[in-house]
Parts: sequence; structure tokens; C-alpha cells
Amino acid sequence: MLRLISRKFLEVALFLLFITFISFLFIRLAPGDPALTILNVDELSVSQEQIEALREEMGFNEPLIVQYGQWLFRFVQLDFGKSYATGEPAFELIAASLPATLELTLGSLAVMLILTLPLASLSALYRESWLDKLSRSLSVIGAAVPSFWLGLILIDLFAVQLGWLPTMGRGGFLSMILPSLTLGLAISSLYLRLLRASLLDSLGEEFIVSARARGIPEWRIFWSYAFRHSLPPVITVFGVSLGSLIGGVVVIEVLFAYPGIGKLIVDSIRQRDYPVIQGYILIMAITVFAVNTGVDLLNRYLKPELRLKGGGMQE
Amino acid sequence: MLILVTLLSACSEASQSASNQPADKKHIHFLYNFSTRSLDPHVDSSYVPLRAGITETLVKLDEEQLKVVPWLAETWEGEDGVHWTINLREGITFHNGRAMDGAAVKASLERAMTENVAIRNALNIGQIAADGNQLQITTTRPFPEFISELVNPNVSIIDVTEEDFNQRITGTGPFKLTSFAPGSKLELARYDAYWDGASKLDSVTFSFNEDANARTLALQSGQVDIVYRPEVESLEVLRAQAGIEVEATSTFRVHQMTMNMERASMQDVRVRRAVDALINRQEIVDTILLGYGEAAKGPFLPSLPFAPSFEPGPSGEAAAVQYLNEAGYTLQDGVMQKNGEPLQLVLLTYSARADLPLIAQVFQSDAKRIGMAVEIRQIDTPEDYMASNRDWDLATYSNLTAPRGDAGYYLNATYHPDGALNFSGAEQPELTAIIDKLNQTVGADERAMLAEQAASYVHEQMINSFILHPSTIVAYNKDKVKNWVTTRSEYYMITNELDILD
Repeated sequence: MLRLISRKFLEVALFLLFITFISFLFIRLAPGDPALTILNVDELSVSQEQIEALREEMGFNEPLIVQYGQWLFRFVQLDFGKSYATGEPAFELIAASLPATLELTLGSLAVMLILTLPLASLSALYRESWLDKLSRSLSVIGAAVPSFWLGLILIDLFAVQLGWLPTMGRGGFLSMILPSLTLGLAISSLYLRLLRASLLDSLGEEFIVSARARGIPEWRIFWSYAFRHSLPPVITVFGVSLGSLIGGVVVIEVLFAYPGIGKLIVDSIRQRDYPVIQGYILIMAITVFAVNTGVDLLNRYLKPELRLKGGGMQE
Repeated sequence: MLILVTLLSACSEASQSASNQPADKKHIHFLYNFSTRSLDPHVDSSYVPLRAGITETLVKLDEEQLKVVPWLAETWEGEDGVHWTINLREGITFHNGRAMDGAAVKASLERAMTENVAIRNALNIGQIAADGNQLQITTTRPFPEFISELVNPNVSIIDVTEEDFNQRITGTGPFKLTSFAPGSKLELARYDAYWDGASKLDSVTFSFNEDANARTLALQSGQVDIVYRPEVESLEVLRAQAGIEVEATSTFRVHQMTMNMERASMQDVRVRRAVDALINRQEIVDTILLGYGEAAKGPFLPSLPFAPSFEPGPSGEAAAVQYLNEAGYTLQDGVMQKNGEPLQLVLLTYSARADLPLIAQVFQSDAKRIGMAVEIRQIDTPEDYMASNRDWDLATYSNLTAPRGDAGYYLNATYHPDGALNFSGAEQPELTAIIDKLNQTVGADERAMLAEQAASYVHEQMINSFILHPSTIVAYNKDKVKNWVTTRSEYYMITNELDILD
């Protein structure tokens, strides 16, 4: 057990080292000079010498490997550095933005589940019925409509015309509804198709035929056998979606002025705010790793044969 | 969906009562186009604390006279440009009741310089001494524009004995902060002891949304009262809507055509004049900015005291062709050429300001008509690219030319050989001498004269060509909002004058 844990720990450490180094390299090689942002050259008179002096002071002139080493040295002391834009500790900025995004993620997942589970199930059970055609059409429309446009339509309907909901901001349950609905509808289209297809596959399996032959009631066959069997591929994709949702759905956060992490990172990239970008990448790498591990464990629980195979994280 | 609608109906009543203030309370909801996660006025470049009326600076820009006038400071002197005496107004207090005296201002200025390297560079302060309500400041070099630099919102005066500057801020303005949701909004309450007359409003909500469509919808829904920069395409709809006023004011910003004088073809002033003559300013204002801008005559807004009045030169295709002919170019087989070499220019543009790529396209199309080939190249970060790459001839660029009511910043940054924004590569001894002299001159009239001289030189040598001054657009509920002023500086938004109609 101890060996397994230490192996996992080593894997995670190497994975993080790799991710942070690659991201560090790309961020530093991308165009844009944080010295110009810090010195506010758009509004303040600055000379070339002052720019050069700041670059020297901030260590931007050091070789990349040295800069990375310095970052890593500070990071192991749990120091993410301070935002160049606001002077706040980068970790605090990221941590302050996470709850809003998590809220939005949960809200949109709730909308997705409420829509997807009944629609996909009915679609698979009553294949080629009008209900199936309707749900397939909805999923195609959902995939085709850009989410910012959907968001604007929802704001116009529920805030401007009906006056029921706030147009923007983060302030309790009501302000969560429109962004969650926008995002939830957008991701539902994917899961509607995926779950329907997976359910249809399961319903065609031999064990379903033999269960029917044994006289097990149809509802029990569906929920206990087919539904459970159809979940692993959906959950695997769900893990990826969850990662990108937590990563921030920038358009929705901007449209609804929801101060989440997506918005933070876009601002940081624009301002070449290296400490925040680097901290964000690290935290997201850990999150995605954790989500994927969770998905893997859930899949193993749902599909016992995976437990017997052992090996890697994802089969 | 039915369940959802029923749920929303049930919630709607609660929503209305939550968003509305008590009927007898005067409240305004202002929606701004940039968000901020920090309120530290010394560091953050969103300038929200000053814009929201929480903090103030020692001096401010008078938006009508376009000059620096007293604010927290009452008078100042500094004839030699090095030793400055600033007398503060008596009886001003911070929101926590502490007196705003010389010691408090000294501490605030020192913190701004410690926390912000850009401010440290910009102020050039060597030493500050405080005595009662008087400050003695010595600059590290003769620095005549020192007082105008104090207009900068990053030099706001705050009580530095308080803590957590990112989330809480104690200033001297007409409104004190009651709550701050980073990236979302600020709630403000009237400061009853405000030195210049307490506001008639009880409270203000200052919120952020960066999406122009969403801002417009927020105003239309009645959830906000004033919207900064609504979506330009929806302005006609807003104008047509009863009860909404749309205001536009030209800003201190200029969209310019930067000319790279290090390129062979651009070294000839006649080619630069041809480029200038080809720019149809009014057409660009009318078609691209839908009329929300002012054709530029030079780098500075014509209403500024140091804006020179140029004689309009010849413009249009014929003038451009004539300039090019004088430079030795002739139109052969539809191609403008000299010694068999076609005139081909590379024009840089970037999407951060959405109107600049459109201006580039209009220019490209106009140039094509006289046989001049223009290749448009889209870049990400103009400052970075233009400084390190010299493989371009022209660049659309947007610049603040007198953000603090003084020409010093723009002229030094853009035309001094050492300037950080000198992308045209200007190294003209005559122009440098004017700027150097400006940097030694204290008197406002003399400074204005020198700034005019420099701008005239730039025009004559056509170092850069100026296209337009874009407008700041604000839309508000005219049945409710009283005394709103759309300022050119974009610094002063929530003031003690702001009120609601009875």
C-alpha cells in the first residue's frame, strides 16, 4: 500500500513538474512584456532605461531555466508570488475566484442533469418516436447555438421583457439561474446524444435479452442493468467537461459579469500577469488530475471488470 | 421548463424587492465597463475608487477649462520646478473621521511610490516634508509637470493607517465604501461630513460588466440607471426608447497612423504626407464610429489650451498622388512605382481596439485606388511588436495624449528618442530640443506654447498622422438621473453633485 501511495505521489509530482515547466516556457515565449504593463506605458511617461531597469529587477532578463527555478523554489515554500496588476498574492486572487466558478459549474450541471437524464432515457426507450426526434433535434440545435447568443436571448426574455431575474452579477440563487441555464443548456446537447447512444448500446446487449427472457420487469432491466451499464463512457466525458467547466467558462462569466476564474485568467493573460497565470495552471492541473482520478474510481465501481484489469488510470 | 417558469414567477417578487432600495432612499446604480478585483488605488489601474467617488487626488482636471485645478490641495507653488509647496484644504476628514493633514498625505504619497514603480518613476519625488497642512516636496530633477501628474488616480489620498487596501479603502470622497464584491460590484453610502457638500444621494451601487450587449440590456431592463459605453450598434434603439438619454463626449485619446521613419520609403516626408492626405477622417468617424468621434486635427483635442490650430493641408486622392509624384513616384499600369519598384507598405493593426482594424481596411482600400499596395498585418501586442520589430511601415495605434491635462507625457513618450512609445523612430534634434525645453519650463502659458511648437513640428514633418478622437458614450435613465456629466478625462464619475429627479 505504502509503495502504491509513494508511486502515485511521484507520478503526481512529475506530472506537475512537467505541466508547470511547459506552461512556464510557453507563457514566457508568448508576445507581450509585463514590464510595459507594470510601468503603465499607456499613460505614464517612461524611458527605455526605466523599462530595462525593471526587467532586470524583476529577473525577466535571466535565462528561462533560471526564472523557472526561482519560481519553483518559491512555490515549494507555497509562495505563488504577487499579481503584477493588483499587488495581491496570486493564490488569494485565484482562491477568491474559485467559489463563483464552482457555483456556476454546479448550477449548470444541475440544469444538464435535469434535462438530460429524463430526455435521453425516454429517447432510448421510445426510439424513433416523436419524443426521440424532438430530443435529437434539441441536441442538434443546442450544439449549433453559440452560448453567448443564448445568454443574451435569456437575458432579454427573463430580465428585460419579464423582469423576473437580474441581468448580471453574483448575488445569491436568483443571479445564478440565467448563467447556469445558459451553460447547462449548452452542455446538455452533448450529453443528450451521448447518453442516448450509450443506452441504446446497452439495451442491445446480450445480458439484457437474457434478463428479459428471465421475466425481469422492464423498468428494473432499464434502471438496474442498462442504465448502470451505459454510464462509464458518459462519466469519462463528464470528467473532461468538469475540468473545462471549472477551468472557467469565460464567455458566460463575462456576459453575466460573474467574477469567476475564467474571467480572472483572461485578464491575467491580457496583462501578462505571470504569477497568476502560473498559479492558475498549477491549480487547474491538480484539479483535472483529481477529477480524472475520481472519474476513474467511479467507473471502476460501476464496471467491476475494470477493477480486475488494474493498471493505468483510464482504460 | 414549466416548473422553472413557475419557480421564477414565485421568485420574481423577492427579486424586485431585493434589488430595489426603500422608496424614500435616493439610490443610483451605475454600470461600468471594466471590472476590478482590487480597490487599492495606488496599484490598480482600473481607478475605480476615484471613479466611484471614494477617493480624491490633490488636484483635478477641470473638464470645462481643461486645466489642472485645486481639489484636496488648495494652492501650490514651485517656480523652479524642483521645490514644491502644497497647501492642503483645512478641515477635510477621511471616512473614518481622521484628519487629512500633511502627515496623512505624505504617508499616502510615500505608499503610492513604494507600491507602484510606475508612480515612483512618474512623480520623480526625492523628498517630502509635512508640517501641519503644508507639504514641501523636492523632485529629483526639474519637473514642471509635477502638479499635473498628481491628477493621476494612482496618487489618490487614502488613510494608510487602515489595513487590507485591496478590499477596504478609506478616502475623502463624497461616498464611503460599505461593501465590495471583487470583480462584481461596490456598494457605497453617502459620507455626511464630505468637505465639499454631502451628496443628496443616500447610496450608490457601482457594478461592472465587460460585455457591451449585456450592459445595454441591463439599462433597458431598468436594473441599472447609468451605463458606461453601451454597445454602439444598439445606440439608435436606446435613443428611440423613451426615458433614455445617450451622451457622447470626445476623449483625450487619439487614434493615429504611426509612421516608421526607419523604412526607406517612409523616410521621404512627401510619402508620409501622401499617407496623411489619403486618410478620410470624417468618413471614418461617420462609418466606423457611427459618428461617435471627432476628426483629429492633431494629437490634442482642439479644445485643449496647447492644441495648435493647423491650416488644413490638401487631402484626398489627387493630393496624395501629387505628393507621391513630387517624391518621384508615377502611376504605371495601375501601380504606383519609383525606379521600377512598386510602393508597397506594411500596415500593422490589432484587435484590442475594434475600430482600428476597420480603419486599416478603409485605408488599404483608399490606397489601392491610387496604386499603392498596403498589406495589413494583425498583431497582438502593439507596444511589444513595434518596439522589437521594424519590418513595418505604418501602424494604427491609439494613444492618450493629455490624460492629466498636460502635453509632457505624450510628447516625451512618443517623440523623444528615449521615449517608450517612440515607435516612429523619431530622432529629430529640433523636436528633441523643444521637448527638452518643455521639460525645464514651469509656467503654464510657456509650456502650452512649447507643446504647440512640438505638435506643429510633428505635423510639418508628418512624423505621425492623426485620425480621430473617439467618444466616450454614456446612456442613462433621464427620468431618474440628475446632474450626470460625461467627462473627457473619464476620471470623475460618481460625484457629490449626482442626484435623482424628484
